[in-house]
Amino acid sequence: MSGQSDPRGSAFSAAELEFLAEDEMIEIVPNLRIKPLSLICGDFGPFQPQIPTQVPIWLAVALKKRGKCTIRPPDWMSVEKLTQVLEAERDSASSFEALPFHYVEISRLLFDHARDDVPEVYMVRSLIEDIKDVRFHKIGTGLEKLSSRTYAMKLNLSAMEVNVIRPFVTGSLETFYELTAPEIIQESQREEYRRPQTADRGPRRELRR
Amino acid sequence: MYGRKASQLLKEFVSGEPGQLTGFNNDVFAQVIEECDGNILHLQALLRKMQEEGSNNQTNKNADHFGALVHHLSLVRNKRCLMAYVYNRAEVIQNLGWTIKHADLPAAVKEKLSISENEYFGKHSSNLQSYMLDLNLDLAVDMVPPKDPYIKVRVLEEIGEVLLSDQIANLAMHSILFLKRIDAESFISQGKMEELTS
Amino acid sequence: MAKYYDIDDILADEELVPAVFLEAVNGVGLLQSNETNRIEPRSKVELPFWLASELHLRQAASVNVPPCYNKKTREEIGADGAHVDLRSRCSYFYQLGCKIVQLIGDKTIGSLLLVAFQIRYKEVLIKAHTSASILGPKFLSLLTKEETKLYDAAKSSTAAFKSWRMGGPRFQKASVLGRKRKPIGE
Repeated sequence: MSGQSDPRGSAFSAAELEFLAEDEMIEIVPNLRIKPLSLICGDFGPFQPQIPTQVPIWLAVALKKRGKCTIRPPDWMSVEKLTQVLEAERDSASSFEALPFHYVEISRLLFDHARDDVPEVYMVRSLIEDIKDVRFHKIGTGLEKLSSRTYAMKLNLSAMEVNVIRPFVTGSLETFYELTAPEIIQESQREEYRRPQTADRGPRRELRR
Repeated sequence: MYGRKASQLLKEFVSGEPGQLTGFNNDVFAQVIEECDGNILHLQALLRKMQEEGSNNQTNKNADHFGALVHHLSLVRNKRCLMAYVYNRAEVIQNLGWTIKHADLPAAVKEKLSISENEYFGKHSSNLQSYMLDLNLDLAVDMVPPKDPYIKVRVLEEIGEVLLSDQIANLAMHSILFLKRIDAESFISQGKMEELTS
Repeated sequence: MAKYYDIDDILADEELVPAVFLEAVNGVGLLQSNETNRIEPRSKVELPFWLASELHLRQAASVNVPPCYNKKTREEIGADGAHVDLRSRCSYFYQLGCKIVQLIGDKTIGSLLLVAFQIRYKEVLIKAHTSASILGPKFLSLLTKEETKLYDAAKSSTAAFKSWRMGGPRFQKASVLGRKRKPIGE
Protein backbone atom coordinates (compact mmCIF):
# COMPACT_ATOMS: atom_id res chain seq x y z
CA MET A 1 0.00 0.00 0.00
CA SER A 2 2.92 2.28 0.66
CA GLY A 3 3.81 4.46 -2.25
CA GLN A 4 0.89 3.75 -4.55
CA SER A 5 0.59 7.43 -5.23
CA ASP A 6 4.32 7.68 -5.85
CA PRO A 7 5.51 4.69 -7.85
CA ARG A 8 9.19 5.56 -7.53
CA GLY A 9 9.29 6.47 -3.88
CA SER A 10 8.83 4.53 -0.71
CA ALA A 11 7.18 7.29 1.30
CA PHE A 12 3.55 7.25 2.27
CA SER A 13 1.42 10.02 0.90
CA ALA A 14 -0.28 12.27 3.45
CA ALA A 15 -3.64 10.88 2.36
CA GLU A 16 -2.42 7.36 3.10
CA LEU A 17 -1.32 8.37 6.60
CA GLU A 18 -4.67 9.99 7.18
CA PHE A 19 -6.28 6.71 6.17
CA LEU A 20 -4.20 4.85 8.75
CA ALA A 21 -5.05 7.42 11.41
CA GLU A 22 -8.73 6.79 10.78
CA ASP A 23 -8.33 3.42 12.49
CA GLU A 24 -7.55 5.05 15.84
CA MET A 25 -10.38 4.79 18.35
CA ILE A 26 -12.37 7.76 19.54
CA GLU A 27 -15.37 8.26 21.82
CA ILE A 28 -18.71 9.28 20.37
CA VAL A 29 -22.12 10.01 21.88
CA PRO A 30 -24.81 8.67 19.54
CA ASN A 31 -28.16 10.39 19.36
CA LEU A 32 -30.11 7.44 18.07
CA ARG A 33 -30.45 3.74 18.56
CA ILE A 34 -28.52 1.38 16.24
CA LYS A 35 -27.90 -2.33 16.66
CA PRO A 36 -24.28 -3.46 17.14
CA LEU A 37 -22.25 -3.35 13.92
CA SER A 38 -20.21 -6.44 13.15
CA LEU A 39 -17.48 -5.31 10.78
CA ILE A 40 -14.31 -6.93 9.50
CA CYS A 41 -12.22 -4.73 11.81
CA GLY A 42 -14.32 -5.51 14.89
CA ASP A 43 -17.70 -5.18 16.55
CA PHE A 44 -18.96 -1.73 17.53
CA GLY A 45 -22.00 -0.60 19.42
CA PRO A 46 -24.74 -1.08 20.37
CA PHE A 47 -25.44 2.59 19.95
CA GLN A 48 -27.90 4.19 22.34
CA PRO A 49 -28.72 7.86 22.73
CA GLN A 50 -26.54 9.62 25.31
CA ILE A 51 -24.47 6.50 26.05
CA PRO A 52 -20.82 7.09 25.01
CA THR A 53 -19.08 4.36 23.06
CA GLN A 54 -15.72 3.80 21.31
CA VAL A 55 -15.47 3.57 17.53
CA PRO A 56 -12.74 4.05 14.90
CA ILE A 57 -12.44 7.61 13.66
CA TRP A 58 -13.64 6.76 10.15
CA LEU A 59 -16.90 5.45 11.60
CA ALA A 60 -17.20 8.43 13.93
CA VAL A 61 -16.77 10.82 10.99
CA ALA A 62 -19.27 8.92 8.85
CA LEU A 63 -21.90 9.04 11.63
CA LYS A 64 -21.11 12.67 12.39
CA LYS A 65 -21.55 13.69 8.75
CA ARG A 66 -25.04 12.26 8.85
CA GLY A 67 -25.79 14.03 12.14
CA LYS A 68 -26.10 10.83 14.12
CA CYS A 69 -23.57 11.50 16.88
CA THR A 70 -21.31 14.00 18.54
CA ILE A 71 -17.59 13.27 18.79
CA ARG A 72 -15.75 13.65 22.09
CA PRO A 73 -12.30 15.04 21.36
CA PRO A 74 -9.48 13.02 22.95
CA ASP A 75 -8.04 14.21 26.29
CA TRP A 76 -4.89 15.67 24.78
CA MET A 77 -6.95 17.99 22.56
CA SER A 78 -7.82 20.46 25.29
CA VAL A 79 -6.52 23.99 25.64
CA GLU A 80 -5.04 23.14 29.02
CA LYS A 81 -3.11 20.04 27.89
CA LEU A 82 -1.94 21.62 24.66
CA THR A 83 -0.68 24.74 26.43
CA GLN A 84 1.42 22.51 28.67
CA VAL A 85 2.77 20.63 25.67
CA LEU A 86 3.60 23.83 23.82
CA GLU A 87 5.47 25.25 26.82
CA ALA A 88 7.42 22.04 27.27
CA GLU A 89 8.25 21.96 23.56
CA ARG A 90 9.56 25.52 23.75
CA ASP A 91 11.55 24.90 26.92
CA SER A 92 13.56 22.02 25.59
CA ALA A 93 15.69 22.52 22.53
CA SER A 94 16.10 18.88 21.76
CA SER A 95 13.43 16.70 23.35
CA PHE A 96 9.95 16.15 22.02
CA GLU A 97 6.77 15.81 24.05
CA ALA A 98 4.82 12.59 23.74
CA LEU A 99 1.83 13.28 21.54
CA PRO A 100 -0.28 10.63 19.82
CA PHE A 101 1.50 9.10 16.83
CA HIS A 102 -1.19 10.49 14.51
CA TYR A 103 -1.85 13.83 16.24
CA VAL A 104 -1.48 15.85 13.04
CA GLU A 105 -3.96 13.72 11.10
CA ILE A 106 -6.46 13.27 13.93
CA SER A 107 -6.61 16.97 14.65
CA ARG A 108 -7.18 17.77 11.01
CA LEU A 109 -9.93 15.16 10.73
CA LEU A 110 -11.73 16.60 13.73
CA PHE A 111 -11.31 20.21 12.60
CA ASP A 112 -12.71 19.29 9.20
CA HIS A 113 -15.67 17.24 10.31
CA ALA A 114 -16.47 17.97 13.95
CA ARG A 115 -15.41 21.50 14.70
CA ASP A 116 -18.60 22.14 16.68
CA ASP A 117 -17.69 19.28 19.03
CA VAL A 118 -14.26 20.66 19.94
CA PRO A 119 -14.46 23.19 22.79
CA GLU A 120 -12.59 26.43 22.08
CA VAL A 121 -11.83 25.14 18.62
CA TYR A 122 -9.95 28.23 17.41
CA MET A 123 -7.64 28.18 20.41
CA VAL A 124 -7.05 24.44 20.10
CA ARG A 125 -6.35 24.78 16.45
CA SER A 126 -3.80 27.54 16.80
CA LEU A 127 -2.10 25.71 19.69
CA ILE A 128 -1.69 22.62 17.54
CA GLU A 129 -0.35 24.75 14.69
CA ASP A 130 2.18 26.32 17.06
CA ILE A 131 3.22 22.97 18.50
CA LYS A 132 3.67 21.61 15.03
CA ASP A 133 5.79 24.59 13.95
CA VAL A 134 8.00 24.42 17.03
CA ARG A 135 8.51 20.72 16.53
CA PHE A 136 9.32 21.05 12.82
CA HIS A 137 11.83 23.73 13.65
CA LYS A 138 13.46 21.45 16.20
CA ILE A 139 13.51 18.58 13.74
CA GLY A 140 15.29 20.85 11.27
CA THR A 141 17.99 21.82 13.77
CA GLY A 142 18.23 18.21 14.90
CA LEU A 143 18.86 17.07 11.34
CA GLU A 144 21.75 19.47 11.02
CA LYS A 145 23.56 17.27 13.50
CA LEU A 146 22.98 14.23 11.36
CA SER A 147 26.16 12.50 10.35
CA SER A 148 27.60 9.18 9.43
CA ARG A 149 27.74 8.56 13.16
CA THR A 150 23.99 8.50 13.35
CA TYR A 151 22.82 4.93 13.64
CA ALA A 152 19.43 5.50 15.12
CA MET A 153 17.39 8.35 16.38
CA LYS A 154 15.05 7.94 19.28
CA LEU A 155 12.57 10.73 19.00
CA ASN A 156 8.99 11.20 19.94
CA LEU A 157 8.19 12.01 16.36
CA SER A 158 4.75 11.51 14.92
CA ALA A 159 3.83 9.67 11.73
CA MET A 160 3.43 12.82 9.66
CA GLU A 161 6.64 14.40 10.92
CA VAL A 162 8.63 11.29 10.13
CA ASN A 163 7.04 11.05 6.71
CA VAL A 164 7.94 14.62 5.76
CA ILE A 165 11.62 14.23 6.63
CA ARG A 166 12.00 10.65 5.40
CA PRO A 167 13.16 11.31 1.83
CA PHE A 168 15.83 13.77 2.92
CA VAL A 169 17.07 11.74 5.87
CA THR A 170 17.32 8.43 4.06
CA GLY A 171 19.01 10.11 1.10
CA SER A 172 21.56 11.87 3.32
CA LEU A 173 22.32 8.81 5.42
CA GLU A 174 22.82 6.78 2.27
CA THR A 175 25.37 9.29 1.00
CA PHE A 176 27.14 9.33 4.38
CA TYR A 177 27.22 5.56 4.30
CA GLU A 178 28.76 5.50 0.83
CA LEU A 179 31.35 8.12 1.69
CA THR A 180 32.50 6.32 4.85
CA ALA A 181 32.90 2.92 3.20
CA PRO A 182 36.31 1.34 4.01
CA GLU A 183 37.46 1.60 0.40
CA ILE A 184 36.75 5.35 0.30
CA ILE A 185 38.36 6.84 3.42
CA GLN A 186 41.23 6.05 5.77
CA GLU A 187 40.56 3.63 8.57
CA SER A 188 41.57 6.18 11.22
CA GLN A 189 39.14 8.76 9.91
CA ARG A 190 36.49 6.13 9.55
CA GLU A 191 36.80 5.23 13.22
CA GLU A 192 36.37 8.84 14.12
CA TYR A 193 33.26 9.19 12.00
CA ARG A 194 31.64 5.92 12.84
CA ARG A 195 31.98 5.86 16.58
CA PRO A 196 28.72 4.32 17.71
CA GLN A 197 26.58 7.10 18.94
CA THR A 198 22.88 7.56 18.88
CA ALA A 199 21.18 10.86 19.05
CA ASP A 200 19.34 10.17 22.25
CA ARG A 201 16.37 12.37 22.76
CA GLY A 202 14.43 11.19 25.75
CA PRO A 203 12.61 7.98 26.47
CA ARG A 204 11.66 5.58 23.74
CA ARG A 205 8.03 5.77 22.77
CA GLU A 206 5.77 3.07 21.63
CA LEU A 207 4.98 3.37 17.97
CA ARG A 208 1.27 3.05 18.34
CA ARG A 209 -1.05 3.63 21.16
CA MET B 1 34.26 11.31 -28.57
CA TYR B 2 32.70 7.88 -28.58
CA GLY B 3 29.63 7.48 -26.41
CA ARG B 4 28.87 11.20 -26.29
CA LYS B 5 25.66 11.00 -28.33
CA ALA B 6 24.37 8.10 -26.27
CA SER B 7 24.82 10.05 -23.07
CA GLN B 8 22.97 13.00 -24.59
CA LEU B 9 20.03 10.69 -25.09
CA LEU B 10 19.98 9.94 -21.36
CA LYS B 11 20.47 13.58 -20.39
CA GLU B 12 17.43 14.42 -22.45
CA PHE B 13 15.45 11.73 -20.63
CA VAL B 14 16.32 12.97 -17.13
CA SER B 15 15.74 16.61 -18.01
CA GLY B 16 12.01 15.94 -18.35
CA GLU B 17 9.67 16.09 -15.36
CA PRO B 18 9.53 12.84 -13.39
CA GLY B 19 6.72 10.61 -14.57
CA GLN B 20 6.50 12.52 -17.84
CA LEU B 21 7.80 11.29 -21.16
CA THR B 22 9.77 13.20 -23.72
CA GLY B 23 9.35 12.10 -27.31
CA PHE B 24 11.33 9.02 -28.30
CA ASN B 25 14.40 10.45 -29.99
CA ASN B 26 14.60 8.35 -33.13
CA ASP B 27 17.27 10.53 -34.69
CA VAL B 28 19.86 10.35 -31.95
CA PHE B 29 18.99 6.71 -31.29
CA ALA B 30 19.79 5.89 -34.93
CA GLN B 31 22.99 7.95 -34.78
CA VAL B 32 24.21 5.96 -31.79
CA ILE B 33 23.54 2.74 -33.63
CA GLU B 34 25.44 4.13 -36.58
CA GLU B 35 28.36 4.84 -34.24
CA CYS B 36 28.17 1.25 -33.03
CA ASP B 37 28.30 0.00 -36.64
CA GLY B 38 31.41 2.10 -37.13
CA ASN B 39 32.97 0.61 -33.99
CA ILE B 40 32.28 -2.90 -35.23
CA LEU B 41 33.87 -2.22 -38.62
CA HIS B 42 37.00 -0.81 -37.01
CA LEU B 43 37.11 -3.61 -34.48
CA GLN B 44 36.84 -6.28 -37.17
CA ALA B 45 39.44 -4.57 -39.35
CA LEU B 46 41.93 -4.41 -36.47
CA LEU B 47 41.30 -8.03 -35.49
CA ARG B 48 41.76 -9.14 -39.09
CA LYS B 49 45.00 -7.20 -39.38
CA MET B 50 46.31 -8.81 -36.21
CA GLN B 51 45.35 -12.24 -37.52
CA GLU B 52 47.14 -11.63 -40.79
CA GLU B 53 50.25 -10.51 -38.97
CA GLY B 54 49.98 -13.67 -36.93
CA SER B 55 50.21 -11.85 -33.64
CA ASN B 56 48.55 -13.43 -30.64
CA ASN B 57 45.94 -11.19 -29.12
CA GLN B 58 46.53 -12.62 -25.65
CA THR B 59 50.29 -12.26 -25.36
CA ASN B 60 51.28 -9.53 -27.77
CA LYS B 61 49.51 -6.37 -26.71
CA ASN B 62 50.38 -3.99 -29.52
CA ALA B 63 48.80 -0.76 -30.68
CA ASP B 64 46.24 -2.69 -32.73
CA HIS B 65 45.19 -4.65 -29.68
CA PHE B 66 44.51 -1.47 -27.72
CA GLY B 67 42.73 0.08 -30.70
CA ALA B 68 40.43 -2.90 -30.80
CA LEU B 69 39.96 -2.59 -27.05
CA VAL B 70 38.82 1.04 -27.32
CA HIS B 71 36.24 0.09 -29.96
CA HIS B 72 35.05 -2.80 -27.84
CA LEU B 73 34.64 -0.58 -24.77
CA SER B 74 32.80 2.00 -26.83
CA LEU B 75 30.38 -0.67 -28.05
CA VAL B 76 29.72 -1.86 -24.50
CA ARG B 77 29.21 1.71 -23.34
CA ASN B 78 26.81 2.61 -26.15
CA LYS B 79 24.87 -0.56 -25.57
CA ARG B 80 24.47 0.27 -21.88
CA CYS B 81 23.23 3.77 -22.68
CA LEU B 82 20.69 2.55 -25.24
CA MET B 83 19.48 -0.20 -22.92
CA ALA B 84 19.10 2.24 -20.04
CA TYR B 85 17.17 4.65 -22.27
CA VAL B 86 14.73 1.99 -23.41
CA TYR B 87 14.47 0.40 -19.95
CA ASN B 88 13.76 3.60 -18.05
CA ARG B 89 11.18 4.70 -20.60
CA ALA B 90 9.54 1.30 -20.37
CA GLU B 91 9.18 1.79 -16.60
CA VAL B 92 7.30 5.04 -17.13
CA ILE B 93 5.12 3.37 -19.76
CA GLN B 94 4.27 0.49 -17.42
CA ASN B 95 3.15 2.93 -14.74
CA LEU B 96 0.95 4.61 -17.32
CA GLY B 97 -1.08 1.42 -17.49
CA TRP B 98 -2.33 2.00 -13.96
CA THR B 99 -3.79 5.40 -14.66
CA ILE B 100 -5.02 5.20 -18.21
CA LYS B 101 -6.17 2.55 -20.64
CA HIS B 102 -4.43 2.14 -23.96
CA ALA B 103 -7.51 3.16 -25.90
CA ASP B 104 -7.88 6.37 -23.88
CA LEU B 105 -4.35 7.57 -24.47
CA PRO B 106 -4.49 11.00 -26.11
CA ALA B 107 -2.73 11.45 -29.43
CA ALA B 108 -0.33 14.01 -27.97
CA VAL B 109 1.09 11.38 -25.63
CA LYS B 110 0.92 8.59 -28.17
CA GLU B 111 3.17 10.56 -30.50
CA LYS B 112 5.90 10.47 -27.89
CA LEU B 113 6.11 6.68 -27.97
CA SER B 114 8.12 4.73 -30.50
CA ILE B 115 6.31 2.07 -32.49
CA SER B 116 7.48 -0.77 -30.29
CA GLU B 117 6.79 1.22 -27.13
CA ASN B 118 3.26 1.77 -28.32
CA GLU B 119 2.85 -1.94 -28.90
CA TYR B 120 4.39 -2.69 -25.49
CA PHE B 121 1.99 -0.33 -23.77
CA GLY B 122 -0.97 -1.84 -25.60
CA LYS B 123 -0.03 -5.38 -24.60
CA HIS B 124 0.86 -4.44 -21.05
CA SER B 125 -2.39 -2.57 -20.68
CA SER B 126 -4.49 -5.43 -22.05
CA ASN B 127 -2.64 -7.93 -19.84
CA LEU B 128 -3.52 -5.81 -16.83
CA GLN B 129 -7.13 -5.61 -17.94
CA SER B 130 -7.49 -9.34 -18.45
CA TYR B 131 -5.80 -10.05 -15.12
CA MET B 132 -8.25 -7.75 -13.37
CA LEU B 133 -11.09 -9.37 -15.26
CA ASP B 134 -9.97 -12.78 -14.01
CA LEU B 135 -9.81 -11.46 -10.47
CA ASN B 136 -13.11 -9.69 -10.97
CA LEU B 137 -11.50 -6.73 -9.25
CA ASP B 138 -10.48 -3.34 -10.60
CA LEU B 139 -7.01 -2.83 -9.13
CA ALA B 140 -6.67 0.62 -10.64
CA VAL B 141 -9.31 2.29 -8.46
CA ASP B 142 -8.76 3.66 -4.97
CA MET B 143 -5.18 4.69 -5.71
CA VAL B 144 -5.97 7.43 -3.20
CA PRO B 145 -7.33 5.94 0.05
CA PRO B 146 -11.12 5.96 -0.12
CA LYS B 147 -13.33 8.25 1.93
CA ASP B 148 -16.98 8.56 1.00
CA PRO B 149 -18.51 6.34 -1.64
CA TYR B 150 -19.83 9.43 -3.43
CA ILE B 151 -17.92 12.52 -4.51
CA LYS B 152 -18.92 15.78 -6.13
CA VAL B 153 -17.46 16.38 -9.58
CA ARG B 154 -17.61 18.89 -12.38
CA VAL B 155 -17.58 17.59 -15.95
CA LEU B 156 -14.89 19.34 -18.00
CA GLU B 157 -15.55 17.74 -21.37
CA GLU B 158 -18.69 16.63 -23.15
CA ILE B 159 -18.94 12.92 -22.36
CA GLY B 160 -22.56 12.17 -23.11
CA GLU B 161 -24.74 9.38 -21.79
CA VAL B 162 -22.83 6.73 -19.92
CA LEU B 163 -23.81 3.60 -18.07
CA LEU B 164 -22.38 3.89 -14.58
CA SER B 165 -22.45 1.25 -11.89
CA ASP B 166 -25.64 2.57 -10.31
CA GLN B 167 -27.29 4.76 -12.92
CA ILE B 168 -27.32 5.98 -16.49
CA ALA B 169 -26.03 9.52 -16.36
CA ASN B 170 -25.85 12.30 -18.89
CA LEU B 171 -22.39 13.75 -18.42
CA ALA B 172 -22.76 17.09 -20.13
CA MET B 173 -19.99 19.64 -20.03
CA HIS B 174 -20.01 21.98 -16.99
CA SER B 175 -22.59 19.92 -15.13
CA ILE B 176 -21.93 19.32 -11.46
CA LEU B 177 -23.04 16.00 -10.02
CA PHE B 178 -22.58 13.43 -7.30
CA LEU B 179 -21.08 10.24 -8.66
CA LYS B 180 -19.86 7.04 -7.16
CA ARG B 181 -16.19 7.51 -6.44
CA ILE B 182 -15.19 4.40 -8.37
CA ASP B 183 -17.09 5.64 -11.44
CA ALA B 184 -15.56 9.09 -11.32
CA GLU B 185 -11.98 8.09 -10.68
CA SER B 186 -11.06 7.07 -14.22
CA PHE B 187 -12.74 10.14 -15.73
CA ILE B 188 -10.73 12.33 -13.38
CA SER B 189 -7.43 10.68 -14.20
CA GLN B 190 -8.21 11.20 -17.89
CA GLY B 191 -8.76 14.87 -17.19
CA LYS B 192 -12.44 14.79 -18.24
CA MET B 193 -13.73 15.68 -14.77
CA GLU B 194 -12.44 17.41 -11.69
CA GLU B 195 -13.26 16.74 -8.07
CA LEU B 196 -14.96 19.54 -6.19
CA THR B 197 -14.45 19.96 -2.50
CA SER B 198 -16.82 21.95 -0.40
CA MET C 1 25.27 -5.17 -12.20
CA ALA C 2 22.66 -3.67 -9.98
CA LYS C 3 23.37 -0.25 -11.36
CA TYR C 4 23.39 -1.24 -15.03
CA TYR C 5 20.28 0.78 -15.87
CA ASP C 6 20.99 3.56 -13.36
CA ILE C 7 21.09 6.76 -15.40
CA ASP C 8 22.94 8.75 -12.75
CA ASP C 9 25.63 6.12 -12.59
CA ILE C 10 25.95 6.19 -16.38
CA LEU C 11 26.13 9.98 -16.52
CA ALA C 12 28.70 10.11 -13.72
CA ASP C 13 30.84 7.84 -15.90
CA GLU C 14 30.60 10.41 -18.68
CA GLU C 15 32.57 13.04 -16.69
CA LEU C 16 35.97 13.77 -18.20
CA VAL C 17 39.14 12.87 -16.36
CA PRO C 18 42.76 13.60 -17.33
CA ALA C 19 44.75 10.60 -18.47
CA VAL C 20 48.09 9.82 -20.04
CA PHE C 21 48.43 7.01 -22.56
CA LEU C 22 51.09 4.42 -21.70
CA GLU C 23 50.66 2.43 -24.89
CA ALA C 24 50.23 3.31 -28.52
CA VAL C 25 46.71 2.85 -29.84
CA ASN C 26 45.86 2.31 -33.49
CA GLY C 27 42.77 3.04 -35.49
CA VAL C 28 40.74 5.18 -33.11
CA GLY C 29 39.27 8.64 -33.68
CA LEU C 30 39.51 9.77 -30.09
CA LEU C 31 41.55 12.88 -30.68
CA GLN C 32 40.54 15.67 -32.95
CA SER C 33 42.99 16.89 -35.58
CA ASN C 34 44.54 13.48 -35.69
CA GLU C 35 44.78 12.25 -39.23
CA THR C 36 46.63 9.04 -38.67
CA ASN C 37 44.07 7.87 -36.07
CA ARG C 38 46.99 6.72 -33.98
CA ILE C 39 47.67 7.76 -30.41
CA GLU C 40 51.28 7.77 -29.26
CA PRO C 41 52.39 6.81 -25.76
CA ARG C 42 52.66 9.72 -23.32
CA SER C 43 49.85 11.61 -25.07
CA LYS C 44 47.92 13.62 -22.53
CA VAL C 45 44.18 13.52 -23.08
CA GLU C 46 40.87 14.03 -21.35
CA LEU C 47 38.74 10.92 -21.52
CA PRO C 48 35.30 10.09 -20.14
CA PHE C 49 35.64 8.03 -16.98
CA TRP C 50 34.07 4.88 -18.48
CA LEU C 51 36.88 4.68 -21.04
CA ALA C 52 39.73 6.00 -18.90
CA SER C 53 39.06 3.60 -16.03
CA GLU C 54 39.05 0.51 -18.25
CA LEU C 55 42.28 1.59 -19.98
CA HIS C 56 43.79 2.31 -16.55
CA LEU C 57 42.95 -1.20 -15.33
CA ARG C 58 44.66 -2.68 -18.39
CA GLN C 59 47.73 -0.47 -18.02
CA ALA C 60 47.09 1.14 -21.37
CA ALA C 61 46.65 4.57 -19.80
CA SER C 62 47.08 6.17 -16.41
CA VAL C 63 44.29 8.22 -14.84
CA ASN C 64 45.20 11.37 -12.93
CA VAL C 65 43.12 13.05 -10.27
CA PRO C 66 40.67 15.46 -11.94
CA PRO C 67 41.20 19.15 -11.15
CA CYS C 68 37.94 19.37 -9.16
CA TYR C 69 39.62 17.47 -6.31
CA ASN C 70 42.76 19.62 -6.30
CA LYS C 71 44.29 21.69 -3.55
CA LYS C 72 42.37 24.82 -4.52
CA THR C 73 38.99 23.12 -4.17
CA ARG C 74 40.11 21.63 -0.86
CA GLU C 75 41.02 25.05 0.47
CA GLU C 76 37.80 26.62 -0.70
CA ILE C 77 35.73 23.88 0.91
CA GLY C 78 37.72 24.27 4.10
CA ALA C 79 37.06 28.00 4.10
CA ASP C 80 33.40 28.24 3.11
CA GLY C 81 32.25 24.85 1.92
CA ALA C 82 28.60 25.71 1.65
CA HIS C 83 29.08 28.33 -1.03
CA VAL C 84 31.55 26.68 -3.34
CA ASP C 85 30.23 26.17 -6.83
CA LEU C 86 30.79 22.44 -7.14
CA ARG C 87 28.43 21.91 -10.04
CA SER C 88 30.55 23.79 -12.55
CA ARG C 89 33.56 21.76 -11.42
CA CYS C 90 31.88 18.38 -11.59
CA SER C 91 28.15 17.78 -11.52
CA TYR C 92 28.68 14.30 -10.05
CA PHE C 93 31.30 15.45 -7.53
CA TYR C 94 30.60 12.69 -4.97
CA GLN C 95 29.87 9.77 -7.28
CA LEU C 96 32.84 10.44 -9.54
CA GLY C 97 35.00 11.02 -6.46
CA CYS C 98 34.13 7.61 -5.07
CA LYS C 99 34.91 5.98 -8.39
CA ILE C 100 38.28 7.74 -8.64
CA VAL C 101 39.23 6.71 -5.09
CA GLN C 102 38.43 3.12 -5.87
CA LEU C 103 40.40 3.24 -9.10
CA ILE C 104 43.61 4.88 -7.91
CA GLY C 105 43.34 4.43 -4.16
CA ASP C 106 43.88 8.04 -3.11
CA LYS C 107 41.86 8.12 0.09
CA THR C 108 42.50 11.80 0.73
CA ILE C 109 39.84 12.41 -1.93
CA GLY C 110 37.46 10.31 0.15
CA SER C 111 37.93 12.52 3.17
CA LEU C 112 37.49 15.62 1.03
CA LEU C 113 34.14 14.25 -0.17
CA LEU C 114 33.02 13.49 3.37
CA VAL C 115 33.99 16.90 4.72
CA ALA C 116 32.30 18.64 1.79
CA PHE C 117 29.08 16.69 2.20
CA GLN C 118 29.05 17.16 5.96
CA ILE C 119 29.14 20.92 5.51
CA ARG C 120 26.90 21.21 2.50
CA TYR C 121 23.97 18.96 3.32
CA LYS C 122 22.99 21.27 6.18
CA GLU C 123 22.76 24.15 3.78
CA VAL C 124 20.59 22.06 1.47
CA LEU C 125 18.34 21.16 4.40
CA ILE C 126 17.91 24.73 5.60
CA LYS C 127 17.24 26.08 2.12
CA ALA C 128 14.81 23.32 1.23
CA HIS C 129 12.67 23.91 4.30
CA THR C 130 12.80 27.67 4.56
CA SER C 131 13.10 29.39 1.21
CA ALA C 132 10.00 29.72 -0.86
CA SER C 133 11.63 30.25 -4.20
CA ILE C 134 13.16 33.66 -3.68
CA LEU C 135 16.80 32.72 -3.24
CA GLY C 136 16.29 29.57 -5.26
CA PRO C 137 18.08 29.84 -8.59
CA LYS C 138 21.43 31.20 -7.43
CA PHE C 139 21.83 28.72 -4.60
CA LEU C 140 20.64 25.82 -6.72
CA SER C 141 23.22 26.52 -9.40
CA LEU C 142 25.98 25.67 -6.91
CA LEU C 143 24.66 22.21 -6.11
CA THR C 144 25.91 18.98 -7.60
CA LYS C 145 23.44 16.47 -9.04
CA GLU C 146 23.50 14.45 -5.83
CA GLU C 147 22.76 17.51 -3.71
CA THR C 148 20.03 18.68 -6.06
CA LYS C 149 18.32 15.32 -5.62
CA LEU C 150 18.31 15.71 -1.84
CA TYR C 151 17.03 19.26 -2.15
CA ASP C 152 14.20 18.18 -4.43
CA ALA C 153 13.30 15.30 -2.13
CA ALA C 154 13.06 17.58 0.90
CA LYS C 155 11.21 20.24 -1.06
CA SER C 156 8.61 17.94 -2.53
CA SER C 157 7.84 16.08 0.70
CA THR C 158 7.31 19.42 2.45
CA ALA C 159 5.14 20.66 -0.39
CA ALA C 160 3.07 17.47 -0.35
CA PHE C 161 2.45 17.90 3.37
CA LYS C 162 1.40 21.52 2.92
CA SER C 163 -1.01 20.75 0.13
CA TRP C 164 -2.60 17.99 2.23
CA ARG C 165 -3.09 20.44 5.07
CA MET C 166 -4.75 22.93 2.75
CA GLY C 167 -7.23 20.28 1.69
CA GLY C 168 -8.69 20.27 -1.78
CA PRO C 169 -9.28 17.62 -4.40
CA ARG C 170 -7.90 14.20 -3.57
CA PHE C 171 -8.12 12.87 -7.09
CA GLN C 172 -5.82 14.22 -9.73
CA LYS C 173 -5.45 13.96 -13.46
CA ALA C 174 -2.86 11.40 -14.53
CA SER C 175 0.48 13.19 -14.43
CA VAL C 176 1.48 12.00 -17.89
CA LEU C 177 -1.33 14.05 -19.41
CA GLY C 178 0.36 17.21 -18.22
CA ARG C 179 -0.67 19.59 -15.51
CA LYS C 180 -2.24 22.24 -17.66
CA ARG C 181 -5.94 22.53 -17.15
CA LYS C 182 -8.16 23.12 -20.05
CA PRO C 183 -9.54 26.62 -19.89
CA ILE C 184 -13.18 26.39 -18.95
CA GLY C 185 -15.61 27.27 -21.68
CA GLU C 186 -13.37 26.23 -24.51
